[in-house]
Amino acid sequence: MTISVWRYSHLALAVSSFLLLALASITGVILAFEPVSQKMQPYRVDTFSELTLAQTLPVLKKNIAEISELSVDANQFVLVKGSDENGKNLTAYVDPQTGKILGEPTEQSEFFQWATALHRSLFLKEIGRFFIGLTAFLLLLITVSGTMLIIQRQRGLKRFFTRIVRDNFAQYYHVVLGRLSLIPIFVIALSGTYLSLERFGLVNTEKISPRVNFDAIQSKPQRQLADFAVFNDIRLSEVQRIEFPFSDDVEDYYTLKLKDRELTVNQITGDILSDDRYPTAVLLTNLSLDLHTGRANALWAIILAVAAGNILFFIYSGFAITWKRRANRVRNNYSADESRFIILVGSENGSTFRFAQLIHQQLLNQGEKSFLTEFNKYTVFPKAEHLIALTATYGLGDAPTNARRFATLVEQYPQPQPVRYSVLGFGSHAYPDFCKFAFEVNQLLSRQSWAVPLVDIHTVNDKSPEEFGLWAEAWSQQTKLPMSVSSDLLKTPPPKLDTLTVTDNTRTAQPDGTFLVRLRANRRNGVTSGDLLAIYPANDHRERLYSIGVLDHELQLSVRLHPGGFGSGFLHELTPGQTIQARVVSNNHFHFPQKAPEVVMIANGTGIAPFLGMISENKQQIPCHLYCGFRQRASFTMYREFLEASQSAQQLTTLHVAYSREGDKQYVSNLLTRDADFIANVLAMNGVLMICGSLGMQKDVLELLETICQTKLGKSVSDYQSHSQILMDCY
Amino acid sequence: MSCLHKIGLLMLTLVFASPSASIAQQSGTSQYKCMIQMTNYMGEGAYIVVSLINGKGAYEKTLYVLGSDKKWYPDVKEWHKALGKKTPNISAITGASVAGGDRSVVMLDIDNAKINKDYKLRFESAVEDKNYHVKDLEIPLTTEALSAKSEGTGYIRYVRFSPNTSN
Repeated sequence: MTISVWRYSHLALAVSSFLLLALASITGVILAFEPVSQKMQPYRVDTFSELTLAQTLPVLKKNIAEISELSVDANQFVLVKGSDENGKNLTAYVDPQTGKILGEPTEQSEFFQWATALHRSLFLKEIGRFFIGLTAFLLLLITVSGTMLIIQRQRGLKRFFTRIVRDNFAQYYHVVLGRLSLIPIFVIALSGTYLSLERFGLVNTEKISPRVNFDAIQSKPQRQLADFAVFNDIRLSEVQRIEFPFSDDVEDYYTLKLKDRELTVNQITGDILSDDRYPTAVLLTNLSLDLHTGRANALWAIILAVAAGNILFFIYSGFAITWKRRANRVRNNYSADESRFIILVGSENGSTFRFAQLIHQQLLNQGEKSFLTEFNKYTVFPKAEHLIALTATYGLGDAPTNARRFATLVEQYPQPQPVRYSVLGFGSHAYPDFCKFAFEVNQLLSRQSWAVPLVDIHTVNDKSPEEFGLWAEAWSQQTKLPMSVSSDLLKTPPPKLDTLTVTDNTRTAQPDGTFLVRLRANRRNGVTSGDLLAIYPANDHRERLYSIGVLDHELQLSVRLHPGGFGSGFLHELTPGQTIQARVVSNNHFHFPQKAPEVVMIANGTGIAPFLGMISENKQQIPCHLYCGFRQRASFTMYREFLEASQSAQQLTTLHVAYSREGDKQYVSNLLTRDADFIANVLAMNGVLMICGSLGMQKDVLELLETICQTKLGKSVSDYQSHSQILMDCY
Repeated sequence: MSCLHKIGLLMLTLVFASPSASIAQQSGTSQYKCMIQMTNYMGEGAYIVVSLINGKGAYEKTLYVLGSDKKWYPDVKEWHKALGKKTPNISAITGASVAGGDRSVVMLDIDNAKINKDYKLRFESAVEDKNYHVKDLEIPLTTEALSAKSEGTGYIRYVRFSPNTSN
């Protein structure tokens, strides 16, 4: 299975660094609480940000016997070093406004010391520091590759923050949290990498020594400390450290290490002796320390803790995703040359493989020779009778990576014998281009002379087991091979059956005539025209599906009686008052569009059933056009009265009927050819086409629509299919 | 008279010989302010130990330790061998390590009886993963040296002393 470069590198980087990364993340979460706990200490005074050195220094000098150094830490605590009146070494936090001693600094707790050493160097000193630095760099690359993956997944940078489709817990939250903590993690990785480079001397952060011209030092005029212009200009908040003059000698001076530069100041006159800006590398080191440790801001420290915690989650969820993907690897017992069933899979993240495996396994269990492969491995299959194509769609309606070459391969390798095919698309309605690639595959196959459609294209939204079941049922009916949806896919137990009461049955006198059955649900359960009714004629696992039209709150089925038909025979014998057990299968993709400006309904035979319900429910009088085909006038007679009444009620705008065995002997597609301009116009105006009836009719209509779309609209019909402008329910 | 004269002379000698008069006479020790200015080396903060060395070149007393994490004490090898391991409580004479380009000012208590008596002050330095300097700076413990500036040979650029005059 081919996977994209970004995904491969994302995984490779993660695998190579996850142990150290986990260690660094755990200690990182712990260490984030150090600045938070420090800031809780009461050594910061509220007036701190307003105080200038001219206000602070004289007060401190008066209160403390000897000061050698003053420093302001990241918490804005002011620490003074010097000696007290007894000449004892003194190190204490002071109030910069009053000069009062607030407390002594406590040593870094043993625990944080231990965590820091582990975080920085794994207790391995230089070697450990190197590996931690490397890990930080790998994290940087992981962040970059992860960002690229999100961009790919969201189909573009602009959609970066749009909704994410939920596949499963690990995958969903890997992406959701990845997006949220992207920036903090990027900052952690970048600053960590920089600090490591700096630590190993790869960034030049050499300090500058102030150059004081001692010959030019003046000892006049003598000024008070509070009158020094430079001390009046500089606020305490700009200071990192002040070194006091070692003695009263005029050649000893104040050294002010500010955030961005270093000044030396004559202790008698207050003149500036030197002024040096730090090199950029030093400023970057300080910034990196602030960002990496959160020492300057408790809120940022907490964000860092959360981000580091997220890294742990990414390690877990990333491996969970990989594990799942690997579990989907293909195992083939038979070769491509000897297999009767060929299953093609187009999958980007492996989830479609699960469904393919399920089909593959069932066929193998039945003793069939089945071969499972990806679209890009398509070739000549000399013994193939059935082709099942399962595919997801990637990005903006594109082929998944392992199906990109399919179109070329199909042209290149025509099958020598007829092969019956069925396409099953996987996707999510959350994306605008729902199953577009599957529709394209279907189109592509339908144009091949060797390809015989077996079952209409089916789509599966959000891995719905029910929708997959619909396909399995349809395929199973055609091939007479059991295909069940296994219990691990159908996580929900099969829904309970409803009891329906027969209210009417028109019957038919002819052996292959059409009749209408009306049923009333004992329980109101939101049935919509276009849904399917599953009936169980023999009360066993065998079910038959019929399209439902809802008229007057009753379910109406339109059924053709087949001689010896399992389902139709059963329905034909029903009498009013009788009850049956059945189940309504929701068929969301074939409901009457709520927002369409115009709807064209295309049906043949009993395919008219859902449309009858839709027309009767079209109370908003959305312009509706019905094109229907029947064999004889007699088949249409039973609908005529209702449809003409609907026309006068403006619930149906136009009605076009074709008879294939009488009069002009037309098919419904002939009517559409006549009205090609109108159809194209409907599509161009965002109108919706609905097709219900036999697969043969569908094939004709789709071919016709492809021509209309190409010639009049310049787009492919699959474009409209993927945008839900062409809805189909054929059998 | 001669007796009084002798006492007076002794007093005078003591007063002028010991620079920090008041405390010195009471306790027998004097305080010296000592500034250690580091070179602009790259790397972690340096651990520096100031020790008193006797005439035979043996460690006699730890005067100050710059660097508080005991984990790194073995790196200050000679001192650690001689005194570091057994010195019971040095917390009163321990301060923070000093980074390249920085300076540190500490108070040293020096026994007056040891001054000008063939004793030495040794500044011993170590930096993680860098060279160790057993004699980054060693100066004779003389009145002269205790008021001068002395150049270091390793991480220390220079050391300056001044008698504590704050009282």
